[in-house]
Amino acid sequence: MLSRRSVLKGAAVGIAAVAGLSACSAEDTTSSAGGPKELVIGILAEPSSWHPAQTHVGHLLQPYQLAYDSLLLRQPDGTLKPMLATEWKYTDDAKTTLQLKLRTDVTFSDGEKFDASVVKANLENFKKANGKQVAMLENFASAEVGDASTITIKLAKADPAFEYYLSQAAGLMGSPKAITGTDIATTPVGSGPYTMVKAESVKGSQYVFTKREGYWNTSLQKWDKITLKLLIDVTARVNAIVTNQIDATLLDPNTRSQAEAAGLTLLQWPVDWNGLLLFDRGGKVCPALADVRVRQAINYAIDRESLVKNVAGGQATVTSQVFGPASGSSVEGLDKLYTFDQAKAKSLLAAAGYANGFDITIPMTPGDDITSNYIKQMLGDVGIRVAITAVPAADYQGTIGKGTYAMARFNLFQGPTWVACNQLIVPKTLYNPFQSTNDVIAPLLEATRGAGDQVGEKGKAVNQYVTENAWFAPFYRANQLYFYNAKKLKVTEQVQMAVPSIYNYEPVA
Amino acid sequence: MLTFIGKRLASGVVALVVVACLTFVLLFTTSGNIARNIMGDQASEESVAAKAHELGLDRPLLARLGSWLWDAVHLQFGKSYFSEQQVVSAMVSRLPLTLSMVFVAIVLTALIATLLGVTAAVKRGVVDRVVQVMAVLGASIPGFIIGIVLVLVFAINLRWFPAVSKIGPTSKPSVWVASLTLPVIALVLNGIASATQQIRSAFIKQLELDYVRTLRSRGIPEREVLFRHVLRAAAPAGLTVLSLHFIGLLGGVVIIETLFALPGLGRLAVDATTQSDLPLVMGVVIYTVAIVVVVNLLVDIANGWLNPKVRVS
Amino acid sequence: MTQTLEITDIPVGQTGTVKRASVIGRLLRNPMGLAAVAVLLLIVVCALFAGWLAPFDPTRATNTVLSSPNGTHLLGTDSTGRDILSRLLYGSRGTLLSAVIAAVVAIGIGLPAGLVAGYYGRWFDNLSSWATNILMALPTMIVLLAVRAAVGPNVYVTMVVFGVMVSPGFFRLVRTATQSVRGELYVDAARVAGLSDVRIIGRHILGVVRAPVIIQAAMVCGIAISFQSALEFLGLGDPTAATWGVMVNDGFRTIFRAPLTLLWPSAAISLTIGGFVLFANALRDALEDQVKTKEKRKAAQPKTVSTAPVPDVAAVPATEHLLEVRDLRIQYPQPGGGRTTVVDGVSWFVDRDEVLGIVGESGSGKSQSVFAVLGLLPDNAIVANGQIIFDGVSTVDASTSRIDQSALAALRGRRISYIPQEPMSNLDPSFTIGSQLVRPMTRLLGISKAEGEKRALDLLASVGIKDPRRTYSSYPHQVSGGMAQRVLIAGAISCEPDVIIADEPTSALDVTVQAEVLDVIRDLQTELHQGIILVTHNFGVVADICDRVAVMQNGRIVEQGDVRTILRNPSHEYTQMLLESMLVGKKPLTRLMSDSATGGMK
Repeated sequence: MLSRRSVLKGAAVGIAAVAGLSACSAEDTTSSAGGPKELVIGILAEPSSWHPAQTHVGHLLQPYQLAYDSLLLRQPDGTLKPMLATEWKYTDDAKTTLQLKLRTDVTFSDGEKFDASVVKANLENFKKANGKQVAMLENFASAEVGDASTITIKLAKADPAFEYYLSQAAGLMGSPKAITGTDIATTPVGSGPYTMVKAESVKGSQYVFTKREGYWNTSLQKWDKITLKLLIDVTARVNAIVTNQIDATLLDPNTRSQAEAAGLTLLQWPVDWNGLLLFDRGGKVCPALADVRVRQAINYAIDRESLVKNVAGGQATVTSQVFGPASGSSVEGLDKLYTFDQAKAKSLLAAAGYANGFDITIPMTPGDDITSNYIKQMLGDVGIRVAITAVPAADYQGTIGKGTYAMARFNLFQGPTWVACNQLIVPKTLYNPFQSTNDVIAPLLEATRGAGDQVGEKGKAVNQYVTENAWFAPFYRANQLYFYNAKKLKVTEQVQMAVPSIYNYEPVA
Repeated sequence: MLTFIGKRLASGVVALVVVACLTFVLLFTTSGNIARNIMGDQASEESVAAKAHELGLDRPLLARLGSWLWDAVHLQFGKSYFSEQQVVSAMVSRLPLTLSMVFVAIVLTALIATLLGVTAAVKRGVVDRVVQVMAVLGASIPGFIIGIVLVLVFAINLRWFPAVSKIGPTSKPSVWVASLTLPVIALVLNGIASATQQIRSAFIKQLELDYVRTLRSRGIPEREVLFRHVLRAAAPAGLTVLSLHFIGLLGGVVIIETLFALPGLGRLAVDATTQSDLPLVMGVVIYTVAIVVVVNLLVDIANGWLNPKVRVS
Repeated sequence: MTQTLEITDIPVGQTGTVKRASVIGRLLRNPMGLAAVAVLLLIVVCALFAGWLAPFDPTRATNTVLSSPNGTHLLGTDSTGRDILSRLLYGSRGTLLSAVIAAVVAIGIGLPAGLVAGYYGRWFDNLSSWATNILMALPTMIVLLAVRAAVGPNVYVTMVVFGVMVSPGFFRLVRTATQSVRGELYVDAARVAGLSDVRIIGRHILGVVRAPVIIQAAMVCGIAISFQSALEFLGLGDPTAATWGVMVNDGFRTIFRAPLTLLWPSAAISLTIGGFVLFANALRDALEDQVKTKEKRKAAQPKTVSTAPVPDVAAVPATEHLLEVRDLRIQYPQPGGGRTTVVDGVSWFVDRDEVLGIVGESGSGKSQSVFAVLGLLPDNAIVANGQIIFDGVSTVDASTSRIDQSALAALRGRRISYIPQEPMSNLDPSFTIGSQLVRPMTRLLGISKAEGEKRALDLLASVGIKDPRRTYSSYPHQVSGGMAQRVLIAGAISCEPDVIIADEPTSALDVTVQAEVLDVIRDLQTELHQGIILVTHNFGVVADICDRVAVMQNGRIVEQGDVRTILRNPSHEYTQMLLESMLVGKKPLTRLMSDSATGGMK
């Protein structure tokens, strides 16, 4: 019979062997200087399909940038520069006809050539495919091919955000042959700086890309190999980055100190606003919300400072307006318009006839419980009784859009002015499920739409209106907390994007 | 023996079909607006309706069940709602990782639980008490808590193992070993605890039987009595215990894979559940039950072989 | 001549009644059981009185986020500034509720189904067994995930489903117990007496089934808590509820900022599950059929073979007998201290070419004394006094009264062998008869397998088996009781021992077979000249083949001597009574035994 001692010895040998084996294989990513430049990024979400028409925003734009080029290139500070298009301009005052001049030296990874007909095919396909960002091309009417390097796009209505869209999902160009097939869903075929290594890529785990020979812009091709590692859980991401298994990733206030303690460098910039969307301005589901005083009372009831401290770990700026500073439509004094004033909130409620408060239900997803608890408590303290319903994360956006709830909390990114209007304020949009509109806001929106370069200025009026009328109850603008290994690379933030563009990662010499 | 196997196989297939039908009905009657969830925020009502029609969600339930079963017989399980991946390829790509973890886990459990259980059963006294205490501890601490502690201590602090899985399609065996060590430990500790108890009981039950004393009276040394005779007699009970544990392990991988970011079947199950990606959920259920049916069949065959009454008939 | 006993202390016979301590008592005396009950009570108190005990509202969010334990918040605060202690206290409700729902559903399905299936059998049994097999083939976690995908986060639904998933365990348990009890004679008697099925089930079967069900229920509670907290940890639970699993999830997210937030709920979960598991274990121990109480000093274990028996250094007590037992006293420890004496100062001997019969009623200690000779007493037996000497070697030492297992290991099979009482249960069912015969021979005699096979066939023939080859290749379940007994005899003589101990070798056999087996034994002795000890309760057998006889009552030998003398002129009244109680030669319709009662046995 095996004695205890021999068992323990055996176990010790076993563990040592395993540890030794794992040490041998510990290929951490700190590669030796002069070797191939390899980057490993930890990502939170993976593309469900690599077809360019299925591209999303933010986190789900970055992976596509590896394989696809866009018509226009958006710089880290938001300015638009040529990429596949060399020049572009509106040829009419109504700003409904946009003419672009295109590059002639670009080929796709399957050998197809890039030209105006490819642009037309992609744009039409984007609209037809009904992907997540199909609304970007809502005003796209048609595209006319001039010659191989000229294309004219006709819009149904002026759209100040259109050029911006051409630097985002709508502007990604896939190989004309591939976009009509089905293989492109699993293996991207674009004209971008990298190509996917199918043998090493596993859905749900990681995607590996290598430098593409013959790419037309080697200045954008800074790495030999880029691996995107899917780590949905933030704890897994911080574990991976402190053990050097990945080089860069997005973390949160809870994991920040761990990363800093490990000597990683922090890059932070504001992207999202976090707050309540007070959808039911007509009072259909919750009659109380029809009264602007009630909505303002909600704004006064929130202790934004403590939310910044407790939820965002101090990494946020208090705000009362939904338009971000980068959009050009944020207004100086509006950030602090609503202070934390419970007495004022109560008196507003009383004036509106709700001295005894009222009941309201909000949805919540798992992971969201912290903020929801604070909301429930803060509103409860002024007499508004909040009931919380748990909603599966996958259903959340759909549920909000259906108009089931009078108000909901959400994180939304603060994009350029017209993007924000389209997202939140125009009647026919997901985040305006009750299609609130009136005689005051409608003309303001129209003016903004037709403002051309002045869209930022004109947008201020919209901002002023919705803020003073408490269409929303924003809490703060949170900073993205992006960490990276400064010994190996340098990262620059991308304004109004949740993670940096792939072009913003540079190896350290 | 052959009829025995045949009967078991047939009952396994029937079980699979019944489970498939029940799961299908459960998932598809109770889930909400599937088409809307797939199409997402921006889609219009028309496109949502179009999607619903495309997926056949507007047909009656039984008709859909029928087509699903028909397709399943041809090993067609459809496509994921949210990605473009075929359910079959999703399963197949994830099976090797999960199966290798579970296989290693069950072998470890068998070896260690048998060793500890037999030792406790034979030596009794202090050793027995110690093993029992260890078993209680192992059974009390849920697997995910053990996993968290393992990651903190061995991956983050000591850096002996990677914190997240490094396994890719082209990884060397050493990478597999490194990435799977902590998950497997977290997976087996609970199982070893309860399997030890059960094997100990089975072994004690055998030790109390008359023939053990008679064997000893024949001068057969104790070691041979224990390992050649008693262990063999306790083997069917032990195999049954282990087969139940195997089933439990297939559930346990769900938590462990999520914790260690392993791209296996368990993680897929959780992701598919959170997203209500019903074809994938069906696929996971079917594949898991099929694996269980196969393993149960093998265990039944082994037990049948071990039992002379079955073997010679 | 009846040999008088020369003994040092006055034998008192068997002493002590076997105490059956109450289950609760045994449970609480076990330190683990006590701890388990304490933990579970604590959790129940927390759950019931959370409202009074909790210092804060568990949902009250504050500004002091993730603080360490301090004066106001004894366990600190979580990521929303809520008091952890209060959340733990209120969370115990959710935890216990999960466990209770799961257990109630599982028992509610498994218990009645098992009762009906075990009692009535037939189609219901088949149907429910089939359903059970399907349920058991499903990994519970996967099913819970599928349910979760279908109905969303709902702890009640989850625990009900979980209860359904674990009900097969109860079903099987109850069904097996019911089937075994249904086969008991007293159930038949109850039915004949006209008791309704319901009453039979309620009265007899539930009593048997009660304890295992409680043990299983405790285990299920522990597992239910584990599953529920795992689901919540994965984020699949209801995040609005203040349960321990949700607290673990929260703690995991903030693990780097405040590790203690993870510790408290993890410890609570582990402690509660541990309480249930310990409770189940302790209850199982308390209910063990054979009260295998062990005293602190471990009894010697059978060891592996050493090369040769170590000769006793102390002066080997002289004896002219082949095997002699002197003043043997065997005791067993009682639960709660104390000992019972089962063999009290027994002495006998046996020589070559003679058969000693040891006669007595069941429970008189006759088998115990021969087990002591073989060194095969149960683990918790204590040899309190005595000496056993075999062929000059002391196997039970005079000074220490310990059984010398290494000496005995060399003797067993080779020089002393044993024929057990019940043939079918004494053969290993997994091995052929042939292999069970050959193995000891190859081991002890050092012969080859081929030689062993030849000898085995010869042995089988010599014990009167008609077709040795067929029996050789058969498994024990393929031969009859009589043949099995002959096989056991063959095995006992295979290595040509000097002493054979036959423990009631004919009791389990038919009368005709009995006679044949006795013939076999007698013939063998004529050939091989062993000393035979024949333990029996049957004076007929004694008269048939024994040369000398020792009569045991209550652990003492009351009379010992030459067979003819004792049978014709029993001097002790117990011997007389035994002889009188035989039917042979009895006048019909008279009382079987005299009114003077025999000593109390148990």
